[in-house]
Amino acid sequence: MYPHIHHQPDQPILDVLHLSVTYDGRQALENITFHLHAGERVAVVGPNGAGKSTLFKVVAGVLPPTSGEVKISGFGPRGHICIAYVPQRSQVDWRFPASVADVVMMGRIGQVGFFRWPRRADWDTVHAALEAVDMDPMANRQIGELSGGQQQRTFLARALAQEAELVLMDEPLNGLDTPSQEAILSLMDKLRQQKITVMVATHDLGQAASHFDRVMLLNHRLIRFGSPQDVLTSENLLRAYDGHAQLIQVADGTSTLADTCCDGEDEHQ
Amino acid sequence: MGKMSISNLFNLLLQPFSYAFMIRGLVASVIVGAVCAVVGIYVVLRGMAFLGDALAHAVLPGVALGYLLSGGSRDTLFWWALAAAVLVAVAVGRISKHAEIREDTAIGILFASMFALGIALISTVRTYSVDLSHFLFGNVLGVTTRDLILTSIFGAVVLLTIFLFYKEFLVLSFDPVLAATLRLPSGLLNNILLILMALTVSVAMQTVGVSLMVAMLVTPAATATLLTRRLWQGMLVSAAIGAFSAVTGLYLSYYFNIVSGSAIVLTATIIFLLVFLFQPRRGLVWKKR
Amino acid sequence: MYRKLSRPLLFPGLLMAALFIMALPACSSGTPTATGGKLRVLATNSIVADVVSQVGGDAITLTTLMPIGTDPHDYQARPQDAAVLTDAQVIFSNGAGLESFLPPLLDSTGTTGKLVEISAGITLLPLPGSNQSTGDPHTWMDPNNVIIWTQNIAAALSAADPAHAADYQSNAGAYTVSLHDLDTWIRSEVAQIPTQNRLLVTDHAVLGYFATQYGFTQVGTITGSFSSDAAPSAQELATLEDKIRQTGVRAVFVSEAVNQALADQIAADTGIKSVWIYHATLTAPGGPAASYLEFMRYNVTAIVGALK
Repeated sequence: MYPHIHHQPDQPILDVLHLSVTYDGRQALENITFHLHAGERVAVVGPNGAGKSTLFKVVAGVLPPTSGEVKISGFGPRGHICIAYVPQRSQVDWRFPASVADVVMMGRIGQVGFFRWPRRADWDTVHAALEAVDMDPMANRQIGELSGGQQQRTFLARALAQEAELVLMDEPLNGLDTPSQEAILSLMDKLRQQKITVMVATHDLGQAASHFDRVMLLNHRLIRFGSPQDVLTSENLLRAYDGHAQLIQVADGTSTLADTCCDGEDEHQ
Repeated sequence: MGKMSISNLFNLLLQPFSYAFMIRGLVASVIVGAVCAVVGIYVVLRGMAFLGDALAHAVLPGVALGYLLSGGSRDTLFWWALAAAVLVAVAVGRISKHAEIREDTAIGILFASMFALGIALISTVRTYSVDLSHFLFGNVLGVTTRDLILTSIFGAVVLLTIFLFYKEFLVLSFDPVLAATLRLPSGLLNNILLILMALTVSVAMQTVGVSLMVAMLVTPAATATLLTRRLWQGMLVSAAIGAFSAVTGLYLSYYFNIVSGSAIVLTATIIFLLVFLFQPRRGLVWKKR
Repeated sequence: MYRKLSRPLLFPGLLMAALFIMALPACSSGTPTATGGKLRVLATNSIVADVVSQVGGDAITLTTLMPIGTDPHDYQARPQDAAVLTDAQVIFSNGAGLESFLPPLLDSTGTTGKLVEISAGITLLPLPGSNQSTGDPHTWMDPNNVIIWTQNIAAALSAADPAHAADYQSNAGAYTVSLHDLDTWIRSEVAQIPTQNRLLVTDHAVLGYFATQYGFTQVGTITGSFSSDAAPSAQELATLEDKIRQTGVRAVFVSEAVNQALADQIAADTGIKSVWIYHATLTAPGGPAASYLEFMRYNVTAIVGALK
């Protein structure tokens, strides 16, 4: 259906150049520039309403930029279907009549094409994706019957079935217990093995520091983008969180806590 | 009450169909019931019940205009109704894109103004007002063979389109962001869905009429969503309920002297209530304990 | 060379103009002054108007409320009607429940004109097959009832305008003679129909007085009511079709503003004819039913032609 746009191996997989997005009269993003390479694992942190979801949607090609450019492997995002957006669990209609397998297959309809039905090979890919996230036994469950961790993994499987090369995850670890969070994080290792680039929006600065190659600190503007030690300094954090963060001294160093929590209702839905 | 023998029961079931109008009415309402019910799944899942009602009422000025321009010919009314419904459907699609007005406000404005326009047009054509009102309140028993042919053709078109675009409509309804990332032509698909609704409304108009249209779109589908967990299953169950309600409603009309359109809707509603209250595990009756 | 209207004034200016134009019709239908002192009379529908004009002649100014082609069962009054009502000195209506919109309208407009229901004094027939308290309003289907109309009209006009009483009475007398002639003609026409064929099926209960006077049986109606508005259930339709087949009815008579499609289908299914008659309105001048007498002649010809 869509001609496969060839990804050059030496090009950055994602180039964002002077991206600005004005939405509803407000400036959601201002002059963002950064580059990502294939296989990188990047955490995007910032307060609520900072524009993380907006950034993801522009990168995914869902929202148009007001000015600036987004390039996937040197091309605009419009032609590619290799970008997967994993939504916040609170944004999903869990009562929708679809099974786990149905949801994962939805990621593949780009490959299946118009007026055609999924073939054997497509179902094999779906089951492989489900196995990769340890959800194959639940394939026929309705999605509302799943736990938080299972829901998250289903959508990850969808990204795999889509054969995505860039996966954008919007706060995937929110509200999950520690074992579930660990499961997701270890899945991201699997993604890295397949050279899939991952951008994760998160509130958890500790995890951002420990599990990610680079961290992007965002509050409408790109405050800082680099290694965790580089970015997660008290100075940067205070600038980004605009006083919403509290600095707490802990024995082996400083930790910061943001005191606004996790519903993202200011952001573009 | 005495025992009913098999042949008695048979008689009871077959007797109404010695009348040609019952056979035609039955075929028409089964088709309409099933098609409305299938389209109704999208209406229920996407919260478009108000839009469905609006489309039904918006047909009035089209029909009135058709009457004025064609000098009262009944043949062309269907096409005028269809044109009006499609126009409003596309208009709503357009307006929804511009987020300054909320969608239900936009629908409300279109709904009321189109209906008012229709009434104004009708009142300039006094002689034809009652015939028009029959068109709008449904006329199951007066279905002609020609009506049946139109109903079958367009009913088939609607079902075929839903079949062909099943997975695309599924994605569009469940996760519009996914639809965008997969580069589906979402605007076009949405308009196709709206046009299918307009087609359904025009086809169902002749048999069920304006006031009962929404019920046929919403009730069997709502029942089906209580009973099923996957979209295609929901569609099949919904169609079955829609068809069954149509058949039962006509029997009730025949044996108990109730107006047909209402009998069909009441049947569908009773089925919904029964399921809502008594379905295993999830029924309201069990939950109260 | 163009002259530009200053932009800010353009929209309000157009709005004012539009409002002014819309208000004009209201101005023109205000109370006109009495024309040359003639009695101002209003008739509700075209049939009533025709009979009133036969009696009133040139001595009155006659206006008709419902335009030709309107179904009185269904009529909804408009603002212009209120204006016309207030202007009239005498208002003639059919009565017997036909113009259900009239009493509230008279109340709200506070008309000073005198309302005369010309069917007063006619014994109303009940709905066939039931003991309903309301009667059949289609009194004009029997010319003998219209004779009573004529008398009522003459009396009312004479009371309102004694100066012309003599004219009204003599007009009424002449018209009554025409009505008697019509009655005689109808009897001779009807005689051509064999007795077993004198069966009537209509879309709604229209021909009650005609049937009673001239010896017909009303087998049934599509809508079991006096009003053209009702919709039949499947059972009612099935019963009607059975009766049609059992009694050998030869035609169903339909009139304007009722569900002709349904009637046509029933006719097609039972193999009988679907025949048009006029029921509550005349046609425009030059048409086949431009006066009451022509109206009845047309209908009787159609009935006789179908059933002979």
